[in-house]
Amino acid sequence: MNRSFPWKRVALALFVSVLMAAGCAKKQTVKSEGAAGAPGAASAPAPAAVGGAPANEAPAAPVAAAPAEQPAPAPAVAPGVAVTEEQVSRFDDVRFDFDKSEVKEDGRKTCQVVADYLKKHPKAKMLIEGNCDERGTAEYNMALGERRATAVMNYLVSLGVPKAVLSTVSFGKEKPLDPGHNEEAWAKNRRAHFDLK
Amino acid sequence: MFLLALFLFPSPAFPVLYVDINSPGGKRMPIAVADFVVGPGDPSLSRGIPTILSADLALTDLFDLVPPTAQIETVTAAHFSGKPLSFPGWKMIGAEAVVIGNVSVNGDRLSIEMRLYDATQGTLMVGKRYTGPPAQLRSFVHRFANEIVYTFTGVRGVFGTEIAFTARPAKSRGKEIYIVGMDGRDLRKVTNNRSFNLFPRWSPDGQWLAYTSFRTGAPIVYLRNVSTGAEKEVVRFGGSKAPGGFSPDGVWLYAGVSRAGNSDIYRVRVVGGAVEKVVDGWGLEVSPSPSPGGRRIAFVSDRGGSPQIYVKTIGVAGETRISTGAGYATSPSWSPAGDRIAYTVRSGGRFVIETVAPDGSAPREVASAADADCEDPSFAPDGRSLVYTYRKKGYSALKIISSDGRRQRTLVSGLGDAGSPAWSPGR
Repeated sequence: MNRSFPWKRVALALFVSVLMAAGCAKKQTVKSEGAAGAPGAASAPAPAAVGGAPANEAPAAPVAAAPAEQPAPAPAVAPGVAVTEEQVSRFDDVRFDFDKSEVKEDGRKTCQVVADYLKKHPKAKMLIEGNCDERGTAEYNMALGERRATAVMNYLVSLGVPKAVLSTVSFGKEKPLDPGHNEEAWAKNRRAHFDLK
Repeated sequence: MFLLALFLFPSPAFPVLYVDINSPGGKRMPIAVADFVVGPGDPSLSRGIPTILSADLALTDLFDLVPPTAQIETVTAAHFSGKPLSFPGWKMIGAEAVVIGNVSVNGDRLSIEMRLYDATQGTLMVGKRYTGPPAQLRSFVHRFANEIVYTFTGVRGVFGTEIAFTARPAKSRGKEIYIVGMDGRDLRKVTNNRSFNLFPRWSPDGQWLAYTSFRTGAPIVYLRNVSTGAEKEVVRFGGSKAPGGFSPDGVWLYAGVSRAGNSDIYRVRVVGGAVEKVVDGWGLEVSPSPSPGGRRIAFVSDRGGSPQIYVKTIGVAGETRISTGAGYATSPSWSPAGDRIAYTVRSGGRFVIETVAPDGSAPREVASAADADCEDPSFAPDGRSLVYTYRKKGYSALKIISSDGRRQRTLVSGLGDAGSPAWSPGR
């Protein structure tokens, strides 16, 4: 039913927000090449230095959000906001053991169902979202979620799904399915989630 | 806008050290802060500024503040033009050091002169005059407090520094980057896009934050100027990605980046964008923390079966494991002096914070709690304390603990899922 990660809407929202931001973006966005004042531009003074004050004396002015960060207006949901919403999937999640990324027996059965579907619907695309429980450091969990999503992707490929229809993203521990703080919740949150497009 | 810090008297190149910072819990310096002289300006500044200064000094374990009620001499403008203080009187109430100040506000021009005297010797230790817009008042006081700490210890204080961190705002599923002063004041939101904004890391000049944002739908590492809000993309390749830290010269940003599900350590030229792989391996390699000298990094790898801390010299083959336990060890943070590495380690079912020498010797527990997790340490620029995440079920807070683990205070609480703190460079 509610299929997740609507790339068309995402693209529209992006386009809209790019249009909106375009006017200010020239001023606000520092170009990648030779950004004066960026760390590393040793010879260039920091742009924030005010008057004769050394850079680190600049007042902590209230930080205005860059225009590109304003949530895009209706009708589209900004893609960055969309990623924070859990979308209902027609497929079960693939669950993992703590600090592991092996696809277990249950998960393999789910992957078989997913693989059968994708082979029957060759135009469908699947985003595999890797997630972790709340324990441990956010950075490590972000990488672990990517490894879990990739393990599921590789398993689907081994079942004959073309790699081109598959993609992965990790949300680390940022997107718990169950907000609890116990083993039951953690077990639900160590998962790969299927996002059919 | 301009600002002037005037050295009234030259400071000695090598200060006489009155307080040994390496012996916490040792002797404290009894110091009195007299009511300030107010020329033109709000008379409440007379007590208001000493309150700010005293609050700073009280955040350290270096001073005993002699209460203002015990003061025995009214300081006047004449004391700034040659009239001596009555030092025996100050000594009598127990003060071995005295701070006096003279402030005036003329329209949009604030001028503060502050002096620190040795009450025993009757000599001026340091004196400075700061001039600028009135909004700079706190910043000037913080800077003189840093001068006082430097005078007594030989190491500048960290007043006026800030901590960047992440938290989940109410009614949002996303996470935003926040900044708060090290004294817990001036909390502000840096990002505001309701997506996931994670892993803030300061540039060495304190002007930029690197962080990962999902605001376009996929993770990208951005550099953001904290004063102007200007941004640029700095890491776009790969899947999951998290900045770890900058090289001390600000030229490189180190980051853990996944390709084909395998995270390795890369460094990216902040200007120009050239990419180099620094640590390669079949395991997950994340969380690079550059040494203050810039020649080495500490990082996390699970190549041994569980995440552990390793140290590598850049460009030289070989990596040394420095975490000693069998448990899960992550989030290394190199101390500013280069002599310790703090990290999170799982111990007895809980996460605690330890520090260890860069060769893996002399591990020491710094922060732990019986019923909560202590994670994500980040050193203050003077190395005397660390900020970390304290998590207990649904509650999370940021706490600051002295590096010997003796003194602790809560920096931020009441924000959802606060975490990933990063202490700014010195000011």
